[in-house]
Amino acid sequence: MKLQTKLTLFNAISKLVIVVLFVLLLPTLIRNINQNYNDNRLHKQEEKAIVLIQKQGIGAFMENGEPYSSYTLLKDEYISIDTTDGSIGKLDTITQQKRKVEGDTINYRILNRTFKIGKTNYMLEIGKSVSTIGDTDVALQSIALQVLLGMICLTILADLFYSNYILRPLDRIIQTKLIGNKFPNFGSYKKVRTTTSDFQYLDKSIHEMIRTIESAFQKEREFISNASHELMTPISILQSKIENMFQREEITDDVKVRLLEMQKILNRLKSITKTLLLISQIENAQFLKEDTVTIKNLIDDVYNEISIRLEDKGITFKTNIENDTSLPEVNEFLLFNMFFNLINNAIKYNKEGGEIVVKSFIDDNRLIVQIIDTGIGIAAEQIPFIFNRFKKFRQSMEQESFGLGLPIVKSIADFHGIDINVSSALNVGTTFTLRFPGVPL
Amino acid sequence: MNVLIIEDEKSLAKELEIFLANCNYLCEICYNGKTASEKIAVNLYDFILIDLGLPDYEGLDLLKEAKKNNPEAACIILTARAEVYDRIKGLDLGADDYLPKPFSMLELQSRMQAIVRRKFGLKHTIVNLGDFVIDLNDRTISHQDKEVSTITKKEFDLIAYLIMNKNRTLTRPQLSEHIWGSVVNDDYDSNYIDVHIKNIRKKLSVHSAPDWLETVRGLGYKIKLN
Repeated sequence: MKLQTKLTLFNAISKLVIVVLFVLLLPTLIRNINQNYNDNRLHKQEEKAIVLIQKQGIGAFMENGEPYSSYTLLKDEYISIDTTDGSIGKLDTITQQKRKVEGDTINYRILNRTFKIGKTNYMLEIGKSVSTIGDTDVALQSIALQVLLGMICLTILADLFYSNYILRPLDRIIQTKLIGNKFPNFGSYKKVRTTTSDFQYLDKSIHEMIRTIESAFQKEREFISNASHELMTPISILQSKIENMFQREEITDDVKVRLLEMQKILNRLKSITKTLLLISQIENAQFLKEDTVTIKNLIDDVYNEISIRLEDKGITFKTNIENDTSLPEVNEFLLFNMFFNLINNAIKYNKEGGEIVVKSFIDDNRLIVQIIDTGIGIAAEQIPFIFNRFKKFRQSMEQESFGLGLPIVKSIADFHGIDINVSSALNVGTTFTLRFPGVPL
Repeated sequence: MNVLIIEDEKSLAKELEIFLANCNYLCEICYNGKTASEKIAVNLYDFILIDLGLPDYEGLDLLKEAKKNNPEAACIILTARAEVYDRIKGLDLGADDYLPKPFSMLELQSRMQAIVRRKFGLKHTIVNLGDFVIDLNDRTISHQDKEVSTITKKEFDLIAYLIMNKNRTLTRPQLSEHIWGSVVNDDYDSNYIDVHIKNIRKKLSVHSAPDWLETVRGLGYKIKLN
């Protein structure tokens, strides 16, 4: 799950929990507030009643010792004064009681207070109906829920926008530093603009890591390039020595056969060195991309070079080039070598009397070239490693090779921004799919 | 013909000398750029072979001097530096050919022959082999004035290479290096040469048996030509 989604989700859930809690607690809260409010009112009324009694005398309320009581019209409040014996002692309480008034049971909040005038003990009772308080609970709860849910939605939206904004540098770092760049050619360091120090830290760390990797790669490439160059001269000397020895008249055929063996081995060394040098030159971008070619011409050229090998193995070669568009800004020598190696592999790992099909078509605005063989195939677990140098997985039938054919293909494809895909089934065949970048003109 | 070999690798220079002397060239060797520069200024050569990687001299400067003082000489650049830019620069400066190390001396010799043919205007280098007439310039092979059109480009390359190195046994690695040398690929098997030779024989035998194309058992092939 995305960090942004996670953050928003967490925010939403936590807010929701709080809101639900609040709504559930709402009735209790309201009751408490009401009670406090009522109690306050009762106390105030009590004070008023006492002041009135003091002013007008108890006689104004209690005629002939009859208890005084007065209800409001709807009986939601009443006041009563009565004599009482002294046994209760001094009393000033507020309690909740049920009273039956004219057949209705009404919940009252009742204030009781005792006071003394002369020798007589009186009890003042003020009651206030609280039956209506609970009535609004449900309505209040639902309103509160709606309002709060609406607010949550608003904050979620705000959260989304803000987290999107604040996390954007992360996306940019990944896009420009890790995905957008062709590994390991990263070029110069460009700061990703952000005020979040964590992202600045990440950006810097990634760049530092890249620099380390890059310099390691650079060293490796330099080494390969230097080593290959240094090997060229001694190979050259050996080759000319062998060639000269061939011409010597005193050399017997027996020795010549041995010289031939040496020549073969030297050729192998030469091929390896040349190939490594080529790969390092491609990786160092020492080739120009100034040619314009068409797939048909390239495949025809390869066919002319390679037809003898097809013939030797009795392999049928078919081409199906739907869109023979020309490819600008490529290196013909390299593309030729790429197709040569792919088709050569398709021959090498093919069965006697097998088939090779080269297809070319446009898919999703990109030129696709497929090389399909009916060969021995590659096991699925080996596919990830076939582009590694000097890895030989497939035992070719008769010929020998040294495992640099596909690495050359890969370097050339990378150099031109071509994606390679391999699909294969053992003993059925292998398909190499090349996706060229962009729309060819 | 006079050849100046400028190569700081002594053993390579020596081998070149032995080989070219065998092919009847007169050779002089320079192991460094300074003496080479002096020699170029004083003597006239038909061929100057320049190694670009000289320790004391910029090889391309030598090429310029050679073009100035020895305008008739054909210059061939030999170098381990196979970078494209060098190649373009060398040819821009008037080099007649370019051979990246490691090269086969047979290749060098056939390139020198090609330059000679070009320079001295030998419009048609015609070779008679048995009942066949081979024109190296037009790249045709004919039987009784009729062209054998079935011969492919690669097959002709093979025949031409054998003719240029006539009376010499060329091994399969040497032949495959010549005809597939520009391709960088990952197998060193040269048995395909046999398939080519078989095809050539089949195509020519329709007209007349090509006895001149000899198989040297266990070694390779040879064209006998007097």
